[in-house]
Amino acid sequence: MKRGKVILLTAVAAVLLSGLAACGGTQKNGTLNLFIWTEYIPDSVIEGFEKETGIDVQMQTFSSNEEMLAKVQGSNPGAYDIVVPSDYMVENMISQDILLEMDESQLTNLGNLDPAYLNPSYDPESKYSIPYMGGAGVIVYNKNMVEEGADFTDYDELFKTVYNNSMVVLDDFRSIVGITALSMGYDFNETDETKLGEVKEKMLTLKPNIKSFDSDSPKTLMITEETAVGLMWSGEAALALSENENLDIAFPEKGMYLFLDNLCITKDAKNADNAYKFIDYVLKAEVNKEISTEFPYLNPNSAGVALMEDAYKNNKAIVIPPEEIAKGYYVKNIGKTVDLYSEIWAEFTK
Amino acid sequence: MKKNYKARNKTIPLLTTVSPVAVWLILLVAAPLLYVLFLSFLSTDGYNVVFRFTFDNYKNLINPTYMEIYANSFLIAFFTTLICILAGYPFAYHMALAGKKKKAVMMVMLMVPFWTNSLIRLNGWKTILGKTGFVNTLLLNLEMIHEPVEILYTRGAVLLGMVYTLIPYMILPLFASIDKLDRSLLEASNDLGANKVKTFLHVTLPLTFAGIFSGSIMIFIPSLGYFFVSDIMGGGKSQLIGNLIETQFKAANNWPLGASLSMMLIFLILIMVTVYKKSGGNMEDLGVM
Amino acid sequence: MRNRRKKFGSVLSNIYSYLVYLFLYLPIFVVLLFSFNTSKRNIVFEGFTFEWYLRLPDNDSLLNAYGNTLFVGCISTVIATVIGTLASYGMSKYKFKGKGIIDILLYIPVVIPEIVLGISLLAIFNLSNVPMGLTSLIIAHATFSIPFVVFTVNARLAGFDRSVEEAAMDLGAGRLKTFFTVTLPIIMPGVISGAFLAFTLSVDDIIISFFTTGPGSNTFPLKVMELTKTGVTPDVYALTTIVFIVTVAVTFLSQRDKKKPVKG
Repeated sequence: MKRGKVILLTAVAAVLLSGLAACGGTQKNGTLNLFIWTEYIPDSVIEGFEKETGIDVQMQTFSSNEEMLAKVQGSNPGAYDIVVPSDYMVENMISQDILLEMDESQLTNLGNLDPAYLNPSYDPESKYSIPYMGGAGVIVYNKNMVEEGADFTDYDELFKTVYNNSMVVLDDFRSIVGITALSMGYDFNETDETKLGEVKEKMLTLKPNIKSFDSDSPKTLMITEETAVGLMWSGEAALALSENENLDIAFPEKGMYLFLDNLCITKDAKNADNAYKFIDYVLKAEVNKEISTEFPYLNPNSAGVALMEDAYKNNKAIVIPPEEIAKGYYVKNIGKTVDLYSEIWAEFTK
Repeated sequence: MKKNYKARNKTIPLLTTVSPVAVWLILLVAAPLLYVLFLSFLSTDGYNVVFRFTFDNYKNLINPTYMEIYANSFLIAFFTTLICILAGYPFAYHMALAGKKKKAVMMVMLMVPFWTNSLIRLNGWKTILGKTGFVNTLLLNLEMIHEPVEILYTRGAVLLGMVYTLIPYMILPLFASIDKLDRSLLEASNDLGANKVKTFLHVTLPLTFAGIFSGSIMIFIPSLGYFFVSDIMGGGKSQLIGNLIETQFKAANNWPLGASLSMMLIFLILIMVTVYKKSGGNMEDLGVM
Repeated sequence: MRNRRKKFGSVLSNIYSYLVYLFLYLPIFVVLLFSFNTSKRNIVFEGFTFEWYLRLPDNDSLLNAYGNTLFVGCISTVIATVIGTLASYGMSKYKFKGKGIIDILLYIPVVIPEIVLGISLLAIFNLSNVPMGLTSLIIAHATFSIPFVVFTVNARLAGFDRSVEEAAMDLGAGRLKTFFTVTLPIIMPGVISGAFLAFTLSVDDIIISFFTTGPGSNTFPLKVMELTKTGVTPDVYALTTIVFIVTVAVTFLSQRDKKKPVKG
């Protein structure tokens, strides 16, 4: 019985705690429901916005585009004001009629963005999406663990048998199928079945080289030198390079896999005005600097980047040369061919 | 007269005991199940679900690669269950024989680690088993090996992770069933000259079979679906059914195929239980059905 | 001779239990140790520091999430345990129409992929206007916990001698009294075991919680997931260590309470 009491007390304490927290959060100028990737915006930015505008930000996080879509579609319309989909998901959400066509006049800081990132293929007139942060699939290698003269700007280097069981790669089927296709001179978003058959054969020669599939923290294996070569997002690569000086980075010549996450407002947003205010706040150069300092992702906000220190600007894992970005590819909707991709993936990882 | 009275009165206790679970399951479990079933007959346009009826998702299941993944998963699940029984039984037995206070302490100590996030605990194992981890360092220092051995990112590591994550689900039902044994029965058997092994095989084991069965259900089924264990401990190199389904619901975004894979899994589990029911005899005695 | 062998056996089984505990606690020791590590990598222990504890996010959102997790865990465990125990008892005692269906439905939450259960529950909550937040979380958690309670209590009820109940009732005890004074004490170890499993499932759940929570009611595992996005770092370990120590302390205190001699 005594244990019951303790549990009851704990429960009561928990209710009180959550009640208190809820009370503390009420403010006057309305709320904003933000649905964003985990670890993607510093708390200080949220707090700064709340202080400046008096708007209470309710943040919820997700860890995959598909989960986000499922949750937005399943919830009441307008439950979330701002969502942060990646490139291909923006295209899909536009086609599903979930996003609001934005009123650009409400965004005074739009000029801070690098025009190279505007009007992307997934949102040709940048009507629905404002680029926030992104990255590229780069190759990181350990100079002491690979042979002299190894050239990782060529994807074919990855397929050599000398790298048996010594690689960590993204746990993402579009990336592996895509770069294998690129290495053969095919398209990153290849849809030709015969060509994909060849791609599969070539992928199978890559499999023995892979020690681990890891999208979340591949840097660890590179830093500890448990793997010699890694295919990872540039943000991770930047962190890996800063922790182990034997590591170096390569941008494959045939083009990299790119992703770009965007700030979007939902069509039925209950607090659309607040959403505009938030996006405009995030676009400010000083605020953007705060974000970049904490998260070393690819940043399309050139005014924000300009404020950063030289060490940041000269780090090519963070500020990737524009000509490399220009050669890159976004994931595209490939229709039913995606089923073939997932079959290839199943065979590849079984 | 008395018999009649009893029979009539059965309705009320039956309703009070069974109707809560019946209502709960119908509202919150049957509905999702029907949703999955419905979904498994729909198609996609490559990205979104479209409402066009099709059997294709089930046809697509007959694919040698998927079969191989199924076979692998069942193998891992089988060994996970077996290891949990073998390792869990002596522990549960010891716990059941302990005094009242010790029993409580043992049970709490058993559960406390599991209230810490499972992903973090598995990452702890990664540190232990890695190339520069404790195990390799120890073996190197003892000069039992001269080069670090690969422990992590193997099937063995996946198995270890599964056993680690699931073992309380074997120990607790085993404890519940061993604990109720009449100790005088065991002593009687011993006194009659049966040796310990014989007593165990002919008295203890059959009487605790319900515990083994309940535990096996709670370990075998989840271990088919725990994709994160294979991801963290095995480096995602050997897919399990769970990974396959997960891919359909996330990266590939082919929900209908994911749904049909789930239906097939549900179907296989029910077949296994039914076959067991028919062959292994009476589930009623086992307390499972 | 026999006594000595018995003693030897008990020493051996004690040693075995310690080994099992070692296996269960080993990764937690690693977490404890590496929360004091100067290196960020969690691979080699390089030096001792309190830095990560000092740097722990001091906002209430973490505390709030932990409170939510305990609250949801406790309430959903109570619900699942009551419903599950009643179900196990009723289904083992009575035969009725539709029993087969309930049997099958009990397996579904265990087999069905978590993401599917999560999404369908979200849809159901939306249709029925269940407030998204703690209420929806509690209902969802109870749903996936119920089968585990049923299976565990089943293990205890198997071969249960009904004549004990009959005897009590012949002596004039009502059904309720019989259940509470005769049956329940006998099946109690099964009920407690089931409750432990239900609580464990609840405090560790991520996927279903993601879909069934509402804005502002985060749970602790969801928070941990956020922090581990870019790899498990020592500050996550520091947080885990604190939570672990608090859990052990609370459990220990409740145990000590229990040990006080209570008469009657």
